[in-house]
Amino acid sequence: MTPARPLPSALVWFVRAMRAFARRELVSMSGYRAAFATRVAGFLFAVVGMVYFSRFVSATANPHMAAYGGNYLGFLAIGFLATELQTVGLQGLSRRIRSAQIMGTLEAELATPAPAWMVLGTAPVYEFGTSALRSAAYLWAATWIVGLQLPNTNVLTVIVSVPLVLAAFIGLGLFTAGSTMLVRRTNPVAVVFGSLSFFLSGVIYPVSVLPAWLRAAGHLLPLTHVLVVLRGAFLTGASPSAVSGSLAALAIFAAVLIPAGAATFAYALRRARVDGSLTHY
Amino acid sequence: MTGAPAASTSTSKGAAVSVEGLGKLFHPPGNTRDLLRGRLFRDPVRALEDVTFDVAPGEVVCMMGPNGAGKSTLARILGGLLLPTSGRATIAGHDAAAGAPALRRSVSFVVGDERSFHYGVSGRENLRYFAALHGLDVATGRRRADELLDRVGLAAAADRRYREYSRGMRQRLAVARGLLGEPEVLLLDEPTLGLDPVGARDLRAFLRDETIRAAGRTALVCSNDPAEARALADRVLFLQNGRLIREVAPAHIEKELGL
Repeated sequence: MTPARPLPSALVWFVRAMRAFARRELVSMSGYRAAFATRVAGFLFAVVGMVYFSRFVSATANPHMAAYGGNYLGFLAIGFLATELQTVGLQGLSRRIRSAQIMGTLEAELATPAPAWMVLGTAPVYEFGTSALRSAAYLWAATWIVGLQLPNTNVLTVIVSVPLVLAAFIGLGLFTAGSTMLVRRTNPVAVVFGSLSFFLSGVIYPVSVLPAWLRAAGHLLPLTHVLVVLRGAFLTGASPSAVSGSLAALAIFAAVLIPAGAATFAYALRRARVDGSLTHY
Repeated sequence: MTGAPAASTSTSKGAAVSVEGLGKLFHPPGNTRDLLRGRLFRDPVRALEDVTFDVAPGEVVCMMGPNGAGKSTLARILGGLLLPTSGRATIAGHDAAAGAPALRRSVSFVVGDERSFHYGVSGRENLRYFAALHGLDVATGRRRADELLDRVGLAAAADRRYREYSRGMRQRLAVARGLLGEPEVLLLDEPTLGLDPVGARDLRAFLRDETIRAAGRTALVCSNDPAEARALADRVLFLQNGRLIREVAPAHIEKELGL
């Protein structure tokens, strides 16, 4: 046997694992051409559906849309993009765990020298990456094909907000992944949280249509603040100081959720090593 | 069974695998009926009890026993995938309970579970992915995967999708994966499970001659197949109901089992 080679640094190792994961996903996806074509078709149908829906809503002057320059198509596009990011955050890690448990690969992957966070962290990072690309394609399609206008975009606010948005969603994801491992069922927290956010955060309508007590409840959800920040940045050209309240709220969500979510996830992983449930599904 | 006294090989420094008083108790979660009766868990299940043995460097030990004897639980504890309830196990000096990367570099857990690969990609792609989890860079991982596919006789089928592989090919790919990190110790859990007699014989010969003996590796083979133990092992330990009950020479297995 040859002497053990030194292990790479954590960052280099993660990049290698990430690259290998992405390659495997792309190779695997290329083998399912019908599924790929279906996704593209679904994406195009969603864009066209969004256009007609926005035309229908914009047909009459709506005082609730005044704060967004009456740009309902932009309002809706950003609502869906932010919801997709939240879905990736909420479900990326837990879906990865469930799918690896069901396929039976989780135990083999965790038996390698790679730390558990690295084995499991590749999928959410990959999904955030592909989701960002999908979002960019979505915006591109909406801009060039159906005339979405985002003339007031404040790039600085976008740059400042994106890390905070991702951090808040990653914290949520760690929580839900921990709960998936503990209950061994499809992410119960994500389903409840996703529905509540859709209802209270103002994905397809401004929160100003909600009664005051529901608006107050909505402030407890990260997606509400994400939408305030992103719509401010893209639709009204808001500077970071103009949306500082929501940026601060996202920073607090991240500061609380990431350590608490990581602790929950670490506990769930240890429980799985105690009760032997790494391969259970 | 008759014969030798219960095995409890004392542990010694320098052993490749050292197991001292290892115990494992599972607490299965209760069902709805148990919960209504105020019980969160069902009665505990004792999978291992006070198991003690050593494996010297370069030695091949076969752990035999009926289904449910605790063989796979033992292998998973040694591979750092499961925590023991009591006792201690070390592999190449690394505490198995710590489950640190250093342990998982020293030991490779080869399980005869064909669900442990990605069905939609080729054997080569599967190995490259696992090579990255071993920390290998792209070029080294590619070279290592190609070498191992050649060694296990899968070079010609390397680019076929895993789901098209036969059972024997899947077992060989699992062995190749186990060798990616060049481990000191191999844990083989039912390595020829489900193979036809000729396929099983060929895989055993490959494991013995090329994977274990030629490289001077230590191996612990969990199996309930006497032919496997005879072909691979220097010593055979018997587990029953989670307890180590005896140790025999491979040549006497049939007699011990009353076959």
